[in-house]
Amino acid sequence: MDFYDILFWILSVMAVGCALGVVLSRNPIHSVIFLILTFFAISGHYLIMNAQFLAIVNIIVYAGAIMVLFLYILMLMNLNADAEPQKGLLVQIAGILSGGTLFLVLLAATKSAHNEEINKVSTNVGLITNLGKLLFTKYVLPFEISSVLFLTAMIGAIVIGKKEPQLKNGEEHIA
Amino acid sequence: MNFDAFILMKSEMSLTLIIFFLLILKVWDGIKDNTALLHVVNFLLLINLITGFFGNTDGSLFSGMFHTNNTIYLEKNILKLGMFIISLQSFDWLKNHKHLLEFYILMLCTLLGMDFMISSNNFLMFFLGLELSSIPLAALANFDLEKRKSSESALKMILSSAFASAIMLFGISILYGVTGTLDFTEMAPLLTTSQLSILAFLFVFAGFAFKLSSVPFHLWTADVYEGAPVSVTSYLSVISKGSIVFIFITILFQLFKSYDTIWVNVLNISLLLSITIGNLFAMRQENIKRFLAFSSIAQMGYILLALTNGTQTGESAAIFFLLVYTFSNLGAFGVVALLSAETGKETISDMKGFYVNNKFASWVMAICLFSLAGIPPTAGFFAKMFLVTAGAEKGNYTVISIAVLNMVVSLYYYLRIIKAIFIDKPDTPLAKLNGSMMMKISFVICISGAIIMGFASNLFEYINTITGK
Repeated sequence: MDFYDILFWILSVMAVGCALGVVLSRNPIHSVIFLILTFFAISGHYLIMNAQFLAIVNIIVYAGAIMVLFLYILMLMNLNADAEPQKGLLVQIAGILSGGTLFLVLLAATKSAHNEEINKVSTNVGLITNLGKLLFTKYVLPFEISSVLFLTAMIGAIVIGKKEPQLKNGEEHIA
Repeated sequence: MNFDAFILMKSEMSLTLIIFFLLILKVWDGIKDNTALLHVVNFLLLINLITGFFGNTDGSLFSGMFHTNNTIYLEKNILKLGMFIISLQSFDWLKNHKHLLEFYILMLCTLLGMDFMISSNNFLMFFLGLELSSIPLAALANFDLEKRKSSESALKMILSSAFASAIMLFGISILYGVTGTLDFTEMAPLLTTSQLSILAFLFVFAGFAFKLSSVPFHLWTADVYEGAPVSVTSYLSVISKGSIVFIFITILFQLFKSYDTIWVNVLNISLLLSITIGNLFAMRQENIKRFLAFSSIAQMGYILLALTNGTQTGESAAIFFLLVYTFSNLGAFGVVALLSAETGKETISDMKGFYVNNKFASWVMAICLFSLAGIPPTAGFFAKMFLVTAGAEKGNYTVISIAVLNMVVSLYYYLRIIKAIFIDKPDTPLAKLNGSMMMKISFVICISGAIIMGFASNLFEYINTITGK
């Protein structure tokens, strides 16, 4: 059991434990903080696999930007135990049954899959130079198209967000 | 320097050029007159449609990320034709709309995404195309900015579509983990019948079924269709679903070829539920858009029936059906768009006595609904017949008989609207609706399509030859 193995186990326990914490904790703020911890653990896994760029981006984008957004939304929505909608018993049982079945199926499928030994350290794909080269050679088309996706997201957000009274014959429409 | 990329990607290139042109027009803000702008956009879309018919060569670009052949060109042309018709039909609605250019920019971006999705030969490209074709649509669903229902439908759409994308992405990531590649041609021989890959296939299938709104993944459809502006609803039900069917055919028939016994069973369950539930719920709808939503769920069931064939026959039947469906469904939506733009009414009882003052629009609605129901002189009959015969080749007669019996049920609800239009006599019939010239042109295109396609048998043969490859 070398250093990497020990690190792997520590990170894995941390990732799974924190992920359980996200689901199980009653307080949504705690959930978000557990989720941030999960992302850190996963970033650690990326580092073990020699993918530094991915690890950093994962922390900046997910743990940094998106989770802060989540926290803001939670604070704005002012969630607490009283405001939580109570689900009926039937819905709860159905949820447990379907979720549990999916979990069992996933577990069985993963167990039956044969796992190949991957070489942990030799791969250099995650290094930023290789990633850059791939992005501008093999994956240049997806890379460019994602910019169109962001453009549309911005245009859509601006149009929806900037609501003003319309010029058209709106009165009949509202009815 | 070679120009291969420009020739093979001409459809995408011309769309991108139009998008850039519209962006510059928006920033420049020089033309204040919406009618003039609409004419410019419609002209550009017409050119875009015409370019699709010339200089089509097969080829592959960007190390297999993008590939194209005659079938794909045809599929793109069907989508472009639908886009053009919808653009003509939105004239009345858009001529007073403040965000006219944004509407077209977003809509053309989704079309660009669909083009890339159909041409993709790689899960990464496919997924990007899928997202590009669904995220802007949620924004478009909100374009009736002052209506609450519109916002509600946009929110429902983006949340449920994100959930479906996540499930599909989970499936794709498992497939990547199992095979180590994202390329369709490389992945196909590596797929084994291990439980993990079959589970992954089911996740991918669930994502598709959601986008096709086939039962049991249909729950978002009616609400989204009802709230969205009519143009966006027709776009969702024809263009968006059409593009998904096209890529679904490629993925099922080529990538998951080795799983055909599995997906035929899954398809059979899903199609029977879609046809039956779609029909039963369509009967009791009062709102025409909700009605058309459930009718489109049932129609998707029939397309899935052709896909169970698993060969080229099923593929060409599905493509031909979608071409006919484009004409007939867009014609029906066009009449709803006219009614909605002029009066703001969208229910079946509002259409009572529609025939008294609107003879032409009533006939358009009648012919298109006959075509959707599959009544003989119209193209819909032949299209449905091809679908059912393609499905019957597998010899699964229980499924076929239930599907055909459901066609009889569907006649009831299609005729219910026709009865309201032609026979019911209200106290005050609707006044004459003065649709624009553009709307009338779109009606002429739709009914001539819905009739002529039925007689143009060489068209089906052409589709059959190019899908053969």
